[in-house]
Amino acid sequence: MTTENSIDTTEPNRQTPITAIPGFTMTDRGPEIFGPVDGPLETPVKVIEKGHLYMSAEEVMPNIDSDHSRRDSASDFTVSAGAEALAKTAVDRRDFLRLFSAAAVASSAAACVRRPLEKAIPYVNQPVDQAVGVATHYASTCGECASGCGITVKTSSGLPIKIEGNAEHPLSQGSTCAVGQASLQGLFHPDRRTAPGFRNGDTISTYAWDDVYEVLGKQITGKKVAIFTNGSTGSRNDFFTDVLTKLGGSTSDLYTYESNSLYSSVSEAHKIVFGVECLPRPDMRVAQVIVGLGTDFLDVGTSPVFYAKNFANFHTMNSGNFGKFIQFESMMTQTGAKADERYVVPPSSEIVVALLLMKSLVEKNAGGHATAQAAKIVAANASIITGGYDLVGVTKEVFDHTAEQLLKSPSMVLAGNTGFDENATMLQVAAVLINDMIGAYGKTLYIDRGWMRSPVRSDDLPRFMTKAASYDVVFFIDTNPVFSLPASLGFVDLVKKIPLVVSMQSMPAEIDDLAHVILPINHSLESWGDEHPVAGFWSARQPVVRPVKDSRQAEDIFLWLLAIQKKSLPYADYHAYLLDKWKALMVLVDAKGVDYETFVKAVLRRGFAGKLETRPAPSMKEVSASFKVGESATRKGLRLIAPLDPRLGDGRGADKPILQEIGDGMTTIAWDSWVGLNPNTAAKMGFKRNDLLLVETAAGSLKVALYPSPGLHPDAVVINRGNGHAITSGVAQGGVGVNPLVLCGTSLDAEIKTPITAGFEVKLSRTGEIYHLAAMQKSHDIGNRTSIVKKYSLEEVKNLKRNRSLDDVPDLYPKLAADEVSQYKWGMSVDLTKCSGCGACMAACAVENNIPQAGREQILLGREMHWVRLDRYFAGDLDNPQVTFQPMMCQQCNHAPCEAVCPVIATSHDPEGLNAMTYNRCIGTRYCANACPYKVRRFNWWTHKWGVMGDRQQDRMPRALNPEVTVRTRGVMEKCTFCVQRIRQAKYTAKEQGRLVRDGDVMTACAQVCPSDAITFGNLKDPGSRVARERADARSYLALGGDPDKNEFGLKTLPNVSYMGIIAHREPLGTGEEGEGQHHPAEGGHPAAGEAAPAAHGG
Amino acid sequence: MLILNRLLSSGQSFISSTAKKWLRITLTVLVFSCLGNSGTANAWWFWTPGDTVDNVGFKPEQPIPFSHKIHAGDRKIPCEYCHSSARRSFSSGIPSGNTCMGCHKIIKTDSPHIKKITAAYDNNQPMEWVKVHDLPDFVRFAHKRHVQGKEQGGAGLACQECHGKVEEMDVVEQGAPLQMGWCIGCHKDRKAPLDCLTCHY
Repeated sequence: MTTENSIDTTEPNRQTPITAIPGFTMTDRGPEIFGPVDGPLETPVKVIEKGHLYMSAEEVMPNIDSDHSRRDSASDFTVSAGAEALAKTAVDRRDFLRLFSAAAVASSAAACVRRPLEKAIPYVNQPVDQAVGVATHYASTCGECASGCGITVKTSSGLPIKIEGNAEHPLSQGSTCAVGQASLQGLFHPDRRTAPGFRNGDTISTYAWDDVYEVLGKQITGKKVAIFTNGSTGSRNDFFTDVLTKLGGSTSDLYTYESNSLYSSVSEAHKIVFGVECLPRPDMRVAQVIVGLGTDFLDVGTSPVFYAKNFANFHTMNSGNFGKFIQFESMMTQTGAKADERYVVPPSSEIVVALLLMKSLVEKNAGGHATAQAAKIVAANASIITGGYDLVGVTKEVFDHTAEQLLKSPSMVLAGNTGFDENATMLQVAAVLINDMIGAYGKTLYIDRGWMRSPVRSDDLPRFMTKAASYDVVFFIDTNPVFSLPASLGFVDLVKKIPLVVSMQSMPAEIDDLAHVILPINHSLESWGDEHPVAGFWSARQPVVRPVKDSRQAEDIFLWLLAIQKKSLPYADYHAYLLDKWKALMVLVDAKGVDYETFVKAVLRRGFAGKLETRPAPSMKEVSASFKVGESATRKGLRLIAPLDPRLGDGRGADKPILQEIGDGMTTIAWDSWVGLNPNTAAKMGFKRNDLLLVETAAGSLKVALYPSPGLHPDAVVINRGNGHAITSGVAQGGVGVNPLVLCGTSLDAEIKTPITAGFEVKLSRTGEIYHLAAMQKSHDIGNRTSIVKKYSLEEVKNLKRNRSLDDVPDLYPKLAADEVSQYKWGMSVDLTKCSGCGACMAACAVENNIPQAGREQILLGREMHWVRLDRYFAGDLDNPQVTFQPMMCQQCNHAPCEAVCPVIATSHDPEGLNAMTYNRCIGTRYCANACPYKVRRFNWWTHKWGVMGDRQQDRMPRALNPEVTVRTRGVMEKCTFCVQRIRQAKYTAKEQGRLVRDGDVMTACAQVCPSDAITFGNLKDPGSRVARERADARSYLALGGDPDKNEFGLKTLPNVSYMGIIAHREPLGTGEEGEGQHHPAEGGHPAAGEAAPAAHGG
Repeated sequence: MLILNRLLSSGQSFISSTAKKWLRITLTVLVFSCLGNSGTANAWWFWTPGDTVDNVGFKPEQPIPFSHKIHAGDRKIPCEYCHSSARRSFSSGIPSGNTCMGCHKIIKTDSPHIKKITAAYDNNQPMEWVKVHDLPDFVRFAHKRHVQGKEQGGAGLACQECHGKVEEMDVVEQGAPLQMGWCIGCHKDRKAPLDCLTCHY
């Protein structure tokens, strides 16, 4: 329980290298049991041929690849990545004998003695609606971020085993993000505190809850109390206000903070322009053009799942109208990777882009009230605009053409990401003005009907910074500002001055080290609550499991503290408070003819209720005078951007192995931080991949390894936030990554006084050491078979025809006998146009199928266990490549190479087309993995253990396992099974009802979770099923399956998974960067945005 | 013998210290008997009365001597009255405390065994029964598919076909081998699915 490590801000934050086992050198260690020792383990035996696709920068620029002759950062010998990892993971001889003897005893015992007795323990009182083995679903609201997505939680015997999006919920629409999927790992996390405690010097003494209420209740009596908490749109903040009022304070003593500054900047911009604090609700279904100014709405926006669902409807052929997304950005975000036209602009110059776009719109006499203001702003910033085109490297024609498209059809402009620079709020103001000019409000963006609510008040952080010293007691609830704010802001010193700091967290956090009282609170799956994400729309949260540890609901703790002081609120618990609040909801939805109890039951059953609020369209204020552009917009040279990591967030996801193991979408690096740099810049500066760089700014420095990232602006230096925790327990303990906030100075955004995390001038230098980043893309490399991805232009796809069925492949295999043929043939279709590489499928798959997380060293050895991985392929120019994300899972080949080579028939073909894997039959020869051309089979090198996290191997909490799927042990091959447990359940249900399985009855975990609806699953024998129709689509192809129309059949593996080629909707125009940078031959691909070509068709 | 000593030194953590001497001897015998391809030594050490390879006849002692003969045989209580989820779940379900108490609040309350159940129930403690018919964890056996009638696409089997004549047993024992060959035999006879994924996933 003790937490000695204080947060040292003077020592440069440093990536902890893998250390060799003390006392051993590689040559001393004797014969290696689990892998070769002499020579690099992963020496590539193949030569990468240059095709039109590439997976990483070093394929195009071999000289940027990691230099193995450089000395390793930790040891005094030169090692390859594989051998280095083995240095830590290998089992030495003594360990081997120990393991061997244990195995010998165990196996001889198992062979001769009956297996151990198992107990059958029934309920004492069987709940009426529960039966062992029959799952119960509860509707609730996800608590991982402030978006308020509706979820349904599948529980079995009282334990949650899987989270799905609530299909009826308008925000999540049946999906969740990867973070939501991983919240089960937060619930069952072994590092959760077991009891409340008081600090006694360096140690924490634990107490019973009753004593805590007694002591703490007295300690805070008559004191000036403040509450500092994370953002929420629900009743929670009202409750805290009520508590503070009882304690003699007011709502101004409540402080809300979210590291995702988009909430406050977007809502502040609407306050500046329209006088109303809100986030606009997008409706992309009607939009035809979206322009992004550095936006990352698919990954870390204000409501990623809702935006992804929206975007999937906008950017698809289904509706017959394929929208166009134009992005201007300096980083390579996953949202930018989906752009039809992407223009790379310097860091922090998005505001200049906005001005240039504004100018073009003004010249085209756009409508709206904002045009006059925009004209004034354009005139006032004439100096920036004159040099603007050269600065951003995009020609005036592009802006004129973009403006034309924006005006011609329903459109919207989305701006800003979480790499927050000093002009970030002004950028939002500009976006609001542009949206008004193009008539987006009321057409594609709503602020007068069902607008989205901001979970935070935008001025809370600066208010707290000035007033903190005046408080006697501060409660920090579910928030960790010590980690998520730049150290230079002085927050730590400020907190140290507060006489009594109470930290209320569901997981240990850095703030605990400064707290005098540490109270473990319930995880959101154990709590009552609600969210009010859209005006007039409420989403309810109910507990789905009894508290796993001895924790309490944060709100209930306050009720107790008030009761001790005889100042009670008239509620027994927070549930009662909510029931009181929800009475307003009954009025809102105008529920008639039902009593309140029935109404609440119905709401909890459905998960949400409401009626969208409306208000008169707010009128625009005069803002042109206050519009100013900070000097960082026109700065030159290398600049730092530190955005939130899409999965780890501001660090609250760092303790979940699933999120660490998914890896970054663009770089596929897992379990680490890295510095992203344009490969050409890196080459010019003499850096190579994996070089440990010293990154220095005026505020501080850190050491972090380099990953050359295609698509970054040559001046952009990107380090994601989220890693680099300093707490003494948790996944983060292993020294995973660095926290780039040490590089961020004290500067605040001018409008909302939020610390800025982008735009700092930065200096890079080589330390001479290397550090191996665990990038997964190359672990399961498919060699030179780049025909795995097909691309079409919009024109091509409109006239695309296929004359021959995908399954029409010459075949010498014997046909199945008639009585062996099933009515089902399970198939999957993946639309690459929709996939945005978010990783939700990987998380859902891991939770559903009990897949372990292997950890960094295992990944360096290529031993990650993902059943579905996300490949991403680049094409074209390194400076501005086209990107394709491809989820790759077992293709369930009908002519499977793996089946033929298994010596024990552990893998066999199922009459329903599944490639069956019988774990208990497998003897671990791994022939099948060698035979598989898709590299989707995974071998259990370990029986993964729980409790040892960080840079070591991971294990699963037995309680967090899905009881419907066998847990595999060491020595067994495993792979995607198309979630056969779900297929069987659906078939059983169908049989009970005397029918066939209908389309939509069964969905694999990945298909169900996909926020972009990219994955479709179903019965191929049913010609009306969605998957059969998609397979028949002319755009569909089989991975490595050639082109049947040209009598090319590729590997003839005949997979049941088909892919739909990616469509690029672009009208090529010059970008002003022509001829610059290194161009990669793009034969077979389509011209990159950087390559000039005449416009093929008019806009 | 070096390896054997290594084996033994590590064996300590797995086996209690009182058994150390026996372990030393038996491991020696075991190692040599395995080398000599002889099963006698194994049988000598690990033989326990009533034990068979396929577990048929396995008849463990339960926390109370519950008699299926009295309940299901003499009193003719249907199996599914207590094992109520057999028709709707993979698991047939073990009756909860309140199912027992439904009758035994009134019936035979003075029996020491019933008193034990009552005490456990009153203390909110479950009974810990020993599982008699126990399949390996890699087998997915769905009771409902076997118990449900033909109209639900089930096999319509009587419980006794796999569990034996439980209504005649004072102490329940395993009646069938429950091994894969036994499953497959029946599946072949009845033209039930035979592909691996039916039971293994």
